[in-house]
Amino acid sequence: MTRADAAVTLRAISRVFGRGNAAVRAVDNVTLEFPRRAWTAVMGPSGSGKSTLLHCAAGLENVDSGQVLLGDTDLTAARDRELTALRRTRIGFVFQSFNLIGSMTAAQNVALPLRLAGQRPSTALVRDTLAAVGLADRARHRPRALSGGQQQRVAIARAMVTAPDVLFADEPTGALDSSAAAVVLDLLRVMASGGQSIVMVTHDPLAAARADAVVFLRDGRVVDRLAGADAREIANRLASLT
Amino acid sequence: MIALFAGSLLSVTLGVALVQSSLLLLITAATLDTPPGLGAAERMEFSDNVTAAVSMLGLILGMATFLAGFIISSTFAFTVAQRRRDFALLRLVGAGRGQVRLRLLREAVLLGGLGAALGVPTGLLVMAAQAALMRHQGFVPPGFEGEWRPWILAVSFGTGIALALAGAMVAAHRAARVRPLEALRDTGTAARVMTATRWTAGLIFFGGALALVIVAPVGGPGGGAAMAMNVPLPAAIAAAALSPLVVPLLGRLLPTGSGVIGALARANLWDARRRSASVAAPLIVLVALVIGTAAAGASITDAGITELRRQTQADLVVTATGPVGPAITAVPGVASASTELSIPATVVTDDESSSASALVIDPAAYARAHSLSQPASALPARADSAGPAAGSPAARSDSVSPAASGGLAVRADSAGLAALRGRAVAVGPGGEIPSSGSIRLALPDLDLGSVPVVASVPATISGGANLLLPAGLVPERLLAAAPAQSFVTLEPGASADTVRAALGRIGTVTDADDWLRADAAARSEVNNKIMVAVMGLGALYALIGVVNSIVIGAAARRREFAAARVGGLTRGQVLRAALLESSAVTAAGILLGCLAAAGALIAAARTTSAVTGTATVTLPWTLIGAVCAVALLVTGATSLITSWSATRPAPITLLAARE
Repeated sequence: MTRADAAVTLRAISRVFGRGNAAVRAVDNVTLEFPRRAWTAVMGPSGSGKSTLLHCAAGLENVDSGQVLLGDTDLTAARDRELTALRRTRIGFVFQSFNLIGSMTAAQNVALPLRLAGQRPSTALVRDTLAAVGLADRARHRPRALSGGQQQRVAIARAMVTAPDVLFADEPTGALDSSAAAVVLDLLRVMASGGQSIVMVTHDPLAAARADAVVFLRDGRVVDRLAGADAREIANRLASLT
Repeated sequence: MIALFAGSLLSVTLGVALVQSSLLLLITAATLDTPPGLGAAERMEFSDNVTAAVSMLGLILGMATFLAGFIISSTFAFTVAQRRRDFALLRLVGAGRGQVRLRLLREAVLLGGLGAALGVPTGLLVMAAQAALMRHQGFVPPGFEGEWRPWILAVSFGTGIALALAGAMVAAHRAARVRPLEALRDTGTAARVMTATRWTAGLIFFGGALALVIVAPVGGPGGGAAMAMNVPLPAAIAAAALSPLVVPLLGRLLPTGSGVIGALARANLWDARRRSASVAAPLIVLVALVIGTAAAGASITDAGITELRRQTQADLVVTATGPVGPAITAVPGVASASTELSIPATVVTDDESSSASALVIDPAAYARAHSLSQPASALPARADSAGPAAGSPAARSDSVSPAASGGLAVRADSAGLAALRGRAVAVGPGGEIPSSGSIRLALPDLDLGSVPVVASVPATISGGANLLLPAGLVPERLLAAAPAQSFVTLEPGASADTVRAALGRIGTVTDADDWLRADAAARSEVNNKIMVAVMGLGALYALIGVVNSIVIGAAARRREFAAARVGGLTRGQVLRAALLESSAVTAAGILLGCLAAAGALIAAARTTSAVTGTATVTLPWTLIGAVCAVALLVTGATSLITSWSATRPAPITLLAARE
């Protein structure tokens, strides 16, 4: 894989929490590439460091050593101002707890990243982005008036409105029932097939099976990698780790 | 969210209202015209009263500004801390630090402006109440009303916006530093409450309070009293800033019971240090200001009363009008009488004109009646000469504390007072006049020009006349209308009843004992009235600040309560835990407030000790009890109501909803 094919490159990154005897190496010398225009799932038992890995890859958490590259941009060297600019333009986030702003409507939530970047997003753009997640008719609703699945789709629309290089998703279906989860996964699949790079942390083999490849983590290290596996295979592999 | 904004808005509105009202009343009083048709003496007296009212309103304005600044900034800081997760979320979707800061400052300007818009009309209501209070207490003439000035609009909007901005500044800086990752955590790393700003503010203001306590005794009667009364301000800020260290610790010590509810309340206190500190802060200020100032005031008043009792050497006091001295001395059985006529005066020193009170006295009699010529060795002799009055409180207090009396004798200046004749004047116990050189003196209708100051009597903590004048300096026509007070000592063996009957034809006769008692009561009452006027509305504002903090804190606790109920607690148990927690915070706040108040008391004790020789400490127990009861009642009721309403929805609906 050449550099140009990697959406995110992790070079020997480590992240330690605590000190002395209480120190926990959440991420331990991981070298990994997340390919461009592909959907990669990160799996592992609880405490395997998968969320920390995602946070480091997205520039939300500092690494103690190693280097994180977003395309050719070194995130480890970036200052807060540059990271902020990256979050507006090249990085999108989706989380388990949807993290929408409760006082704003769906449309306002979607328009927020562009407005923070000093742009005036056209109503057409916002409407189209919401339509892409199937919520064209919910633009004026506030989050509390939406179901969990709908809120997560608004969050995805918000992440996608800036057309980011990479969409980071941390357990995007973790708080959803199976039918709402299926809708969200279908949406991500469509986006990935359309060329969107996606990095997703999950503990659900059904969700991971929709990705192009699955990376397995244990005790902060990459221990395996599967491509094109089905849910049963992934579940068995995950079970063998614990 | 609504509770947060409403809370901030309320703090600005009331703060602006209080400052505006105090300022308008001050301006009105300062520009008050003397009513037509008053005589010269009445005019001077009127201007003297206006000066007193203006200085009191200055105090009220200072207090209002202090409280507004404190309450607004602590409320703003708390609301920003409560919204930390929102700011992290904004940062997560691409908001820069500057944008977060700018957003908060814009909000502050908006809230400040809106608060001022509501505060201006509210201020008019507050002004009517404040003016009525001051009229009722006699600090301003009847019919005194605050007057509207158009420019106050600019001042009030400026005050509102400036205070809101100042309050938001530090909070905005903190909020801008929040890490985006904190949005993903429920608890967040917001646990660090003791910031560098808190430490710095706490230590600086503690130093300020300490400095006032140390310097107060050097300040003399007036300055020392003022410094003692001011100790609670910096002490309260210091206590409030350092409260996150102390409140949870005190919470652990408080008996909250051993059951599960007690354990929950204790855990909450420890965990939510920020919230506890925000509720405690206005409470600390409330308790420190009300109790500290009142206790310092009462101590100084009581010191004055004791001092007066000790210095006054008389059996009877005659109240009359005009130069009645010779007539009183002529009554058979009267050994000596110091007749003192009070006359308003205007003193010009260094081109600065100020109104003063003057007493026309007979120097020798004055010195006798006020313990000025009492050498320590004369103590036993005086016991015989006192005759039937040997049991008077004045004599008694002297003989039980010869050391104090000796201290007085050292400072007495009878030789100096002997020089008080012709055109010479002396500085009275009220001080505030240069004790050497000359001053320009004007009496009603009469400019006396430059007169030499030849002596001074020791300043007393209870104050008194600023100037002592010899009889020859004041024309008869002024003396004729002057109120007179005579301190009469009887000859040994004279019949008190006979003398009393004879004196009764000259004026109203009172036992010195009764006169001192009445005087003490009057002084205490004036002190209490001043406290009510200065503290009343401010205390109410601080109390509203406390309620505000509880409401803001409870708004974010619905999920927490729901989690506790899902964990098996009944709604009643959740309410009891919340009540227990708020009572513990209140108790801790009261304790810290009392600690700050103790600073004022120490300063008062040091001042009274330096001026009168005896440290006087008076604790207004009724007030302390009332303040504690009101604080516990109000915080308890507020936290019950807010947690009751926060637990109304079924817990599961709250836990499911995540935004």
